[in-house]
Order: sequence, then structure tokens, then C-alpha cells
Amino acid sequence: MAERVYITGMGMITAIGDDVAGNLQSLRSKQSGLGFTSHLDTIYKEKLPVAEVKYTTLQLSEIAGVAGIDGYTRTTLLGLIAMREALAQAGITDVQQEPTAFINASTVGGMCDTENVYFDIVNPDKTGDFLKFIDTLDCADCTQRIADTIGITEHIATISTACSSSANALMYGARLIKAGLTRRVICGGTEALTRFTLNGFNSLKNIDKHPCRPFDNQRNGLNLGEGAAYMVLESESLVKENNSVVLAELSGYANTNEAFHPTSPSPDGDGAYAAMKDALAMSGRTIADVQYVNVHGTATLTNDVSEGKALQRLFGETVPKFSSTKPFTGHTLAAAGAIEAIYSVLAIRHQLVFPNLNFTERMEELYVAPETQLLEGYPIQHVISNSFGFGGNNASLVISNYEG
Amino acid sequence: MKGKCYIQGMAAISPQQTFEGDLSAQPIVISSSNMLSCVEPDYRAFIPGNSLRRMSRILKMGLTAALKALQDSGIETPGAIVTGTGKGSLQDTERFIKEIRDYNEQALNPTPFIQSTYNAVNGLIALQQKCTQYNNTFVHRGFSFENALLDSMLLLHEGKTDVLAGAFEEITTEHFYIKSRIGQWKSENISNDTLYQHFSPGTISGEGAAFFLLSSTSTNKTYAELAGLKMLYKPSLEKLDTALQTFLKQQGVQPEEIDLVLTGRNADINYERYYHVLDTRLGNIPQLPFKHLCGEYDTAGAFALWLGAQLLKTQQLPVQWFPMLQSPPAKLRNLLIYNNFFGEQHVFMLLKAI
Repeated sequence: MAERVYITGMGMITAIGDDVAGNLQSLRSKQSGLGFTSHLDTIYKEKLPVAEVKYTTLQLSEIAGVAGIDGYTRTTLLGLIAMREALAQAGITDVQQEPTAFINASTVGGMCDTENVYFDIVNPDKTGDFLKFIDTLDCADCTQRIADTIGITEHIATISTACSSSANALMYGARLIKAGLTRRVICGGTEALTRFTLNGFNSLKNIDKHPCRPFDNQRNGLNLGEGAAYMVLESESLVKENNSVVLAELSGYANTNEAFHPTSPSPDGDGAYAAMKDALAMSGRTIADVQYVNVHGTATLTNDVSEGKALQRLFGETVPKFSSTKPFTGHTLAAAGAIEAIYSVLAIRHQLVFPNLNFTERMEELYVAPETQLLEGYPIQHVISNSFGFGGNNASLVISNYEG
Repeated sequence: MKGKCYIQGMAAISPQQTFEGDLSAQPIVISSSNMLSCVEPDYRAFIPGNSLRRMSRILKMGLTAALKALQDSGIETPGAIVTGTGKGSLQDTERFIKEIRDYNEQALNPTPFIQSTYNAVNGLIALQQKCTQYNNTFVHRGFSFENALLDSMLLLHEGKTDVLAGAFEEITTEHFYIKSRIGQWKSENISNDTLYQHFSPGTISGEGAAFFLLSSTSTNKTYAELAGLKMLYKPSLEKLDTALQTFLKQQGVQPEEIDLVLTGRNADINYERYYHVLDTRLGNIPQLPFKHLCGEYDTAGAFALWLGAQLLKTQQLPVQWFPMLQSPPAKLRNLLIYNNFFGEQHVFMLLKAI
């Protein structure tokens, strides 16, 4: 019998909060993190809203406790801040005491810093300080920097499946536990805003010039965001041995591929439907047990049709409360799955449904609409959290209340 | 983990003639630029012309190697697709960075952005083979392919019957230059067939795509069994030595039962010490290096696995590729692979003949 997988620590930083408590407070007070960038050098500075973490990279290095040390990119620093909180919450002071694996997620690694010095790096006539960024171009750099800073020497990996990256990191970590390869693993993702991704999504005409409106009939694209989030996952036996405080159970998960189109989901939501259905089946629950879905809800034309159709197919006439929290955090790509998994835990622990901001008009393709109000005292036992990405990479997680 | 992992089909595009034909008849491909590039096949046999025109180089290499491995196994739609790549499509990444600058962030063509995403190859394979199941991409330097293998072994353990696992990597002249600035390559130009005569700082660069159809059951066309896999992150020499002994013990293999060790030796004097651990611990076991054939890159471990499985199946060494070989082992039953990527990610794999 495979072990159950429990969440015993969480840490995060986003545009709406420097830690989990800060995020919860902003969600409750309907404080969106969207605005114009102060840090990104782009012609869209005052045209395309983003959800930016308000600190400069230098300030982040101070918060992360590594001020004055070379080579930490913004991606790494965001990750390190979230990692430190996750460890603290799990009561881990020495990560070496129990062999601990680390599964990270990233879409463009240290691009946030390398894109500013890239043309110096490739120019033989230039030398200087920028050479320290040469090794930060790939996705492994941030993972290893974080691991080395906090002392992780066991299994490490980095996953990149676009917008579902950190959901897949959580899934891989849970599977390592279930297979008995580790008893503790820290999983999540980190993402910094870059000119590269902003222009990438903009070239696909996927970015709204206004705050995004998930599941609204007039929606017109996404807003990018930055942030990082990690969860400490522990096996049932380790939890018992250490008397760890359990926040929730990661009870189900599924990864499917649409095999439909490189960047667009299928109009009927085949992949989304399969991911949710399989994750729910794995958790041993039925559709009647789900009280809230934290949808992927990017507010692109195609995602919301596809995901909405999938919800209707799975739940029929009894679609539970659902909302997209992307109008708060922006779409944080590789970090989104882990950020929203933490929101799902918060929904259970505080019995909350988060409002889907900026919604006014139901989509003509759907008979369902998202929850627009903050619901307090709402009885939530099980949440589905969705993350869908380019390449048809879909992932759904089921997070359940821990009954002790 | 319960369950076995057998290689039922495979394909490699590499700087050698590995994609088709009889290996024993292929001469070693020699380059003296310190940058080994793949011998690319005719992609038109695998990819329709209209798709081909839009695809950048690593997408073509990755997709074609994947399709050939499936073809080789006789399985059209695998139960999952899991890959590893350290750098994804460098060409597309470089192109998009330049176009952002050259066109001042306006009216950009999204294609290089889409193709630069690390999971683009996986998505393409899934699309072409209509594989709607599990799909994952690892992007962690010298652990990229190895995590894809571990994920595949987990999937087989969880009950999947077959998984397509693979790796792809390209080198560009621009990226070769970038990495030369931090001393990854030798400063003197050498011919790859004489690599091991040039012990000095740095090595030679390479690239490649290799895919494997892994299955929980063996048949008479099985290449080899992947019996064990161990990754070690930045180990000390002592930890590496202990881990090697533990690994063999866990596999139930005595050191003297290993017939051949394929090593990632790359004549880089900065990391040679790790290979001395192997020399000391397995002193009497024949060793063969493989980096003179494929060069150094994040996912060179996939080339080693392909080569090892090939040797076990054919029980033949393409001797013309190994001028350093003294006397070939009489039989090949157990084959150990040890590789490290610039001293950070270390990997052991144990392959067994069927």
C-alpha cells in the first residue's frame, strides 16, 4: 500500500504578498497585484499590466538573506524567499536531518537577468561583471542555487512544462514518496517577469491591456505575473514519526496531454476534462465531494472556453464554486501551479472561496459562471486545482482536508 | 520500486553515424573544431514537408529520434512521453532574444518563442502520435535525461506498460562561444579521436537526440534491461565511492561481475579526479570512454545508454570507434555507466543483457 502524501509546510511570495499570510490577507481584501512594471525594461512599461513583486532585485537579496553574494538571479531570489518560509512553517531548521529531495519548476530560468546582458555575453570585445550570469541562463541554475543555499544534497530536479510546471513538480514529488524513494520532498516553482516572456505572449496576442477578466464574455487575454511557491510534502510515516503538523493532503493528481495544438487547447476541453477526472478518481472521491475548483482561468479566449466546457462535462448541472485567482497574481507560469495549490490549502483551512475579480458577463459558450464574491465560512473539504499549458501539458491536483 | 524496465526500441541522432545501418561498418566521424555536430538524417522520411519547414533544428532532431525509436519498438502510441533537455531549443531562444532587440519588441513572430519552450518537443511527439497520456519534461543539466528515466521507471512501477523516454540537446556557435568564456572547452583545437591524449582544462562540446521505448516486460527483441539508476548531486569523492559500492550492492552485483564500464571521461583535467574513484574501486574492469564520439552536453547520458544497450544486444563493439581498446571483453552481461556533468551531476546506470 503506497503511503499517503501530506503537506506540512508552505511558503510563497507574489505581487499580493511576501508570504502566505500576506497573500491570504490580499485575497480576503480583494487587493489585486496588477499594475505597471517598475523593474522590467520594456516598451510596454506603461501599456501592459503585470503583477510584479514590488521589491527590487537588490531588496530581494536582502530579504532572502544573501545580500552581497554574487550570481543570484531574481528567479532564484524569489524562490529562496518562498523556500525559507516553507521550511520555517514545516519546522525544519536543518534540512539534512531527514534526506530531503527538491523538485523545482522554471520556464526560462535566469532569463530575467541574462536578457539584460546577453549581447555583452556574446560580444568578444566586452568583458566584465556580467560574465557571472553566463551559467544562470538555464533552468537548473535557480534550483541548484536554492538547494546549495539551504543545504539540500539529495535528489534534485527541475521541470519545465510551461504553465503546468510546478503542478507537475508537486506530482513528481508525491510519486517519489509513494514509491518509497524519499520520505520528504519540497516541490514548487519560481518565475520572474522577463522581457522574453512578455514579448512571447504578446506576440501570440494573448495579453490583455487591461486587468484580465477570467471567464468573462469580454475577456481579452492574460496578464503575466511573477512569484514563487513551495510546499513541503511528507509521507504518512514520517508525519507520524515526527508528529509533523499537517496542513492538508495531496490526495490526487493527474497529468494528461491534449495532443491537439502546440499552443491552443481543444475547444471541448478534452485534456482538462481528463486531468480533472483522473485526479479525482485517484483521490478516491466523486464529483459530489468537490466544493471548490481553483481554475487555471488565464482569461485567454481559448483557455476559458476549454476549461469551462471541461467543468461542465465533468460536473454536469452541479458545477461547484470556481474562481480564477489570476486577476490577483497575474499568470506566474512555472510558479502558478504551486501558488494556486497553496491557495487551495488556504481555501480548505479557512473555509473560503476566493472571488474571481473583474467578472461581469457570463460567457456565451457556457452555462456556468465563476464566483465573484469572497465567501467566508464556506464548507470546503476537497479542492481541484488546475494548471494547463503550452504543448498540451495539463495537470490537475486534488487537495483534501486532513482529518487527522 | 517493483517492476522491471526493458529497452524495447531506441534511436539516436549523434555526431556519429548512429541513426541507421550497421554500426560495425561505420567509420568514426572526426572533427577538429572542438564542437561536434550531429550527422543529421533525412527528416522527410519522418516528418511531412509542410511541418518540416516550420520546425527548428532541435525539434526535427528530437521528433525524428522519437519516431524512429517508436518504429523500432513496433509501438505507435506509448503510454507516456518523458524527456530531458538541458537547454531546449537554443536556436529559437537566441533568435527570439535578437528579434526582441532588432524589432524593438514590436510585430514579433511568435514561432521562435513557442519553439523555445522546453516542452515543445514533447508536445509535438504527443500531437503526431496522438498520445494523450502522461507527458513531462525535465530541464536540469546532467540530471535532465536521468530524471526522465527515473520518472519512466516510476510510471512502469505504477502500472504503465510502456513509456517513451528521451533526451535532446543542440549546440550553436553562439552558445559554444558563451560557454568558452567560462572555460568549458579546451583552448587548443583537437581532433575528437585524440581527445584522451589532451588532458588539459576543458573538454569538447557535443549534442544529440536519443529516445528509448521502455517497457515492463521483455521480448525477444529487447536490447537490454535498465536494472538500476542512481543520481548524486555534487558528491565528495568519498561519497561518490560509497555510493558506487552501495549501488552495486543494491543491484546484487559484485564488482567482478561487471564486464564493461562506459565512462563519461572527457579529458577535462578539472574533473578527472571523479573518474579516479572508479579506477580505484573497479581497477580490473575494462573501461571505455564515449565522449570522443558524442562530445560533452547536458544529456550525453542518453548517448551512453544508447551505446550500452547496443553493445549488450549485439555483443559486439564497433572497434573502429574505440582506438584505445586493448582487448574486447569476451562476453557482455553487466554494463555499468558512470557520467558526470562538469563535476556537479553524477550518474550511475546498470544495464543487463537479456
